[in-house]
Amino acid sequence: MLLKLIPDNTKITFMKLRIPALIMSAILLIGSIALVFTRSLNFGIDFAGGTVIEISEPADVNVEQIRSVLGGLNLGEVQVTEASGTGLNAERVVVIRIGKQGGDGMDAEQAGSEVSKKVLTALSAAIPSFNMDEDLRRSETVGPKVSGELLQDGLWALFWALLLMMVYITFRFEWHYGVGAVAALFHDVIITIGMFSLLQFEFNLTTIAALLTIIGYSMNDTVVVFDRVREERRRYKKLPLVRVIDIALNGTLSRTILTSGTTLLALLAIFFFGGEVLRGMSSALIWGILIGTYSSIFVASALLIYTGLDKHRDEDEAGNAAADPADDGEVAAGPAGN
Amino acid sequence: MLRFPAWKVAIILVVIIWGAMLALPNLLTQSARDNLPGFMPKAAMNLGLDLRGGSYLLIELDDTDARDPRLLELSSAIQENLILRSGEGGRINHEVSQVGSSVQVKVLDADKLGAALSRVRAVANDRFPAPPGGGAAFTVNRLPDNVVEVRLTSAGNAQGNDLVASTISVIRKRVDPQGVTEVSITPQGENRIVLEAPGESDPQRIKDLLSQAGQLSFHLVIEGSQRLQPTDENGLRPMTLPYPEIGPAGTLIVDQNDIMTGADVQRAYQAFNENGEAAVSFTLNNRGTRAFAETTRRYVNERFAIVLDGAVISAPNIREPIIGGTGQISGSFTIESATDLAAIIAAGQLRADLVFVEERSVGPGLGADSISAGTWASIIGLILVAAFMILAYGIFGVFAVTSLAVNIVLILGALSGLGATLTLPGIAGIILTIGMAVDANVLVFERVREEQRAGRSPMSALQKGYESALSTILDANVTTLIAALVLFQLGSGPVKGFAVTLAIGIFSSVFTAFVVTRWLTVSWMRWARPKKLPI
Repeated sequence: MLLKLIPDNTKITFMKLRIPALIMSAILLIGSIALVFTRSLNFGIDFAGGTVIEISEPADVNVEQIRSVLGGLNLGEVQVTEASGTGLNAERVVVIRIGKQGGDGMDAEQAGSEVSKKVLTALSAAIPSFNMDEDLRRSETVGPKVSGELLQDGLWALFWALLLMMVYITFRFEWHYGVGAVAALFHDVIITIGMFSLLQFEFNLTTIAALLTIIGYSMNDTVVVFDRVREERRRYKKLPLVRVIDIALNGTLSRTILTSGTTLLALLAIFFFGGEVLRGMSSALIWGILIGTYSSIFVASALLIYTGLDKHRDEDEAGNAAADPADDGEVAAGPAGN
Repeated sequence: MLRFPAWKVAIILVVIIWGAMLALPNLLTQSARDNLPGFMPKAAMNLGLDLRGGSYLLIELDDTDARDPRLLELSSAIQENLILRSGEGGRINHEVSQVGSSVQVKVLDADKLGAALSRVRAVANDRFPAPPGGGAAFTVNRLPDNVVEVRLTSAGNAQGNDLVASTISVIRKRVDPQGVTEVSITPQGENRIVLEAPGESDPQRIKDLLSQAGQLSFHLVIEGSQRLQPTDENGLRPMTLPYPEIGPAGTLIVDQNDIMTGADVQRAYQAFNENGEAAVSFTLNNRGTRAFAETTRRYVNERFAIVLDGAVISAPNIREPIIGGTGQISGSFTIESATDLAAIIAAGQLRADLVFVEERSVGPGLGADSISAGTWASIIGLILVAAFMILAYGIFGVFAVTSLAVNIVLILGALSGLGATLTLPGIAGIILTIGMAVDANVLVFERVREEQRAGRSPMSALQKGYESALSTILDANVTTLIAALVLFQLGSGPVKGFAVTLAIGIFSSVFTAFVVTRWLTVSWMRWARPKKLPI
């Protein structure tokens, strides 16, 4: 009667795939870094500074006209786009983006803070049906100083999150596990940033929030697998590490699928029904859950094999363990899928 | 693990009921909330500006040119000292002016520069004693053209370290003179102020109110007067100020000495003049009343100018002596601009220029749309997750979903009880928690499945499942909690709301999964006594 998504007693030999998986991850990593350097990121105003104004789409005026009205204001780079607003029966909106204003220090701040007034005054004059009280949906301006600080704060937050995870994992596990877990975190963060660069999604403060959440989720997933690896190593002292990892991964596979499944369902609900404001965040999280689940298996666990964990005995088995030193993970990997 | 004595059950029920009571006000209208009995909590969640609409302004104080009221006192003390004949070098002719955060004394008797320097230093020493931490509170410098400058050091500025606090008080008086709105004004860091105005989706009026320094003074008008012509004896010194009222390039020549300043104005409010036009009425304090009466008695039929931030706003005739200490400023005002001017005058002078370095405003339309979008996304997310869990685990899924419902009630209760602010990303945090909260249940259920397959009896499998899942559950949730804490440190406004719901969600998820689900499961097993767990 129950829906068995994952059959009992799976014996998938994940670790057989570790070499191609690690190569693929390496390619994705290099590609992401290259993308960030060549295509850069589409920074939102949080990090780039500037102004965003969203208004209800006026009935009698098209985007082209708005563009020409604003073009006359001499505000530098102006982008005008149409979008569908937030909500189930979303009305059409017009989003106006204006770049950072020139000038030095406080002059630039001052010029930036006058942009929204200039734009709204010009729109009111040019569009008869535009009523500021009703049609202005949002207006945001971030000055050059604050945008620089926000970017710095965001990067520091990523740094601290990664560092604290590293501290926690080495505190709870052996350092061998820590290496794998943290490598997986960097892998997830860098590839997610790479995706933002590839698709030119707006990269802003909520993206950083999403990245931190991905770090939390990916670590959560990795810890569940590692807990199981540690437990199975105590149970099967003579089995080669590769086999033990496969047993642990199969033991947690059903949980992995179910939890990422429910989390993805919740995120899809946000993506489709949570409106435009949350779309960037939810798309980052959806991607992050997928990559985080993948990396727990094929990065974090796979790297355990290369950190010398097989030569090392977990703490409480030190004296009585009878692990055969000849059990080399590499060699024994072959017949694992019995 | 599987025992639930009465006291444990009681604690579980108390927690759930308390959470439900805290969450309840969110479902009620304001009037229904007011009618709740006294013991019930009445506070609903605060909605963030992104949900209810409103403006957020981050204001930076440009303190390179901070106007310190102590410098004004220093100026007059220097003036008083330098005209004394008994001092070193006798009477020294000079002009004193305040330039930014310094006082400049132009010494007109060039041969007495040295004497002037030491007397200015003595006066400044008297006014600004060295700070206890060492160093000097000010420096005295010689500038070209026989100018002596007294400039406060950063230590001296810090002694009057209420720049931010006094600015906040002026901002509050200007933006919210009646004290009726929900505007929140808080300091941030060294020299920044956060202003949040719920419901005000156009920050322009607030910005206009704050863009003026509000330096008010009253002067005699020299231009066009027979009597008021500068001579050596009467001490009148002409200065030309813009007078926009009479034309874009209009100017007016007035006396540099002021009759009184904004500090002498006790009250200012919007009123109407005899022609029924909007005007600003003001009341003076004792000192101002005396000075004003004295001047207006002496100069009937002359004019005086009311000067705000270096521009004349009005220059009325003195028709008769004004001895009551009240007056009126007329001009081409609307009711709104007169109200704003009254607020600016009454609030007093801003000691530093304000620069708006970040501003975000959300209109009521987008806020309402966001609430409905967030609600729909939550409901749909919850239904999907519930269906998935029940399909995967049957009756156990029902238990997990029940405890998920309790979880949501507890999150809402905690948010209301803590007075936290719900933002749109915060709603996303709740939905994400819905998805992740079942994780702990899943971990346990999977263990129970395994133990049962390994041949354990139902009760023993359940016992073992909970035991072995516990450390994993704690480990896994600590990592998410770390991420939430870092987020909280990083965030402002919306992002902080996300961090708060995520963190609260972690605690309530662990509680509901590990305690509530377990209690439900155990109670069901004692009642149904299944031979095999349907899992």
